[in-house]
Amino acid sequence: MIRFENASVVYSGGVHALHDLTLEIADGEMMVIVGLSGAGKSTLIRTINGLVPLTSGDVTIDDRSVSKARGRELREIRSRIGMIFQTFNLVSRTTVLNNVLMGRLHATPTWRSLIGRYRDEDVEIAMQALERVDIVDKAYVRASNLSGGQQQRVGIARALAQQPKILLADEPVASLDPPTSHVVMRDLQRINRELGITTIVNLHFLDLAKVYGDRIIGLRGGQLVYDGNARDADEGVFRDIYGRSLTADDVLEAVPAA
Amino acid sequence: MTSGAALSKLRPPAPKSSLIVPAGVLGALALTIWAASDQFGIGFDPIAILADIGRGSEILGEVFRPNFAFFPRTIQPMIETIQMAIIASTIGCAIALPAAFLASRVTAPGRLSLVATRSVLNVVRALPDLLYAMVFVVALSIGPLPGILALIFFNIGVAAKLLSETVDAVDRGPLEAASAAGAAHVEVVRTSVLPQVLPNYVAYSLYVFELNIRASTVIGIVGAGGIGNVLNEQIGFFNFSNVGLVILELFLLVFAIELVSIALRRRLT
Repeated sequence: MIRFENASVVYSGGVHALHDLTLEIADGEMMVIVGLSGAGKSTLIRTINGLVPLTSGDVTIDDRSVSKARGRELREIRSRIGMIFQTFNLVSRTTVLNNVLMGRLHATPTWRSLIGRYRDEDVEIAMQALERVDIVDKAYVRASNLSGGQQQRVGIARALAQQPKILLADEPVASLDPPTSHVVMRDLQRINRELGITTIVNLHFLDLAKVYGDRIIGLRGGQLVYDGNARDADEGVFRDIYGRSLTADDVLEAVPAA
Repeated sequence: MTSGAALSKLRPPAPKSSLIVPAGVLGALALTIWAASDQFGIGFDPIAILADIGRGSEILGEVFRPNFAFFPRTIQPMIETIQMAIIASTIGCAIALPAAFLASRVTAPGRLSLVATRSVLNVVRALPDLLYAMVFVVALSIGPLPGILALIFFNIGVAAKLLSETVDAVDRGPLEAASAAGAAHVEVVRTSVLPQVLPNYVAYSLYVFELNIRASTVIGIVGAGGIGNVLNEQIGFFNFSNVGLVILELFLLVFAIELVSIALRRRLT
């Protein structure tokens, strides 16, 4: 269970990215966060693994405070939270396998990671993660030689290699074309359902949010303006979240590939 | 996105062009004239130089007629120079690698180590290689050892500076990913930064090796071993055709290193 208690983030310069947020996310949920850019979606996701520190309030995971954790304890919390990024954040000059093995760093002795000799069981976990997203054939290919969709699946495999309890995805399909977006979103949905990993996804395409989310929360100006079932989120709800009428840019409008 | 909205927007007036570039060019020109003038500067007169250049032609002519009979006597010192350069480049670049990570804003573990490392590197780089050589020759007597030590300090300064600036410019995305996965700081640097800068590091190391071959001619002047000693000695004897041969050998050696460096870099990137 992830719990936000009056969580606020004020960036230097005075921008209120997150404003007095109180929220609970149950284990195994598939939750989508929608909102305009600048509404605080990325900030919210990054407070869960402590990449963005809170200014006030608290975020707890299973009653352990993320905001108070430092050093080894923070790394230990992060090791149970996988993260997927809009721009994939792969090391392009090394192999797909080496990228996925970054997800095993928390379990690898430092001397091993320094000489690049991972344990056999960690390599096996990385390979299984690649198999789960159906890209194990590219294990020894340089990451830069993959397409965008393939790179994002490697990003998912890296997160899965952590064997996480929680998966955070920050605009995972914003750099992808519509058919590939559906492939990646279905991967995330499958991981959520089959492995029971709590999955939190930032999206700005409303149709994707409705199709793949179980629960939708809406952010506007760093404040929670909607929290409900994805089925109940109609056009009026999204208009409220966005504070304006919807346009063609707000939907992906591509039928999922068969 | 609609064309109607675009039509309603007026084209902005072109911004006023900045005067910084022409002012900078004029300023540089004025400074150069000031520095070269007879009254205020050093009296730099290119026409007089052209008129006098003939007097040097005798020496230049000898340099361009290398004495190949001198070759056997250059072999041993040349090997010594290469050996000095290999040792100094390896040790210098090995020290420069962690130093560069400590000196980059992206990878420094803390503010204190960043400022401390940068200050030390600035001092190391401020001292010229000739001064290092003189200090070590005085402290350790003449020979290749003070030369190697001088080159090591020179190499740390050059390689750490170049590499830390490359580290400053890496893609930070992978660092965020590694941190988010619970990796410790050294592991983040090792797995997400090192692969990004490795081709540059190899290229800088080869460049440093090449600089060491050239620097050996300078540090040899103060008795720090290698081909520089021979060069200095032959200049003293006015044997400019022997000097010409040493310069030709150095040119070929530097050229060969450049070829190897290009081939290696092509494989790495």
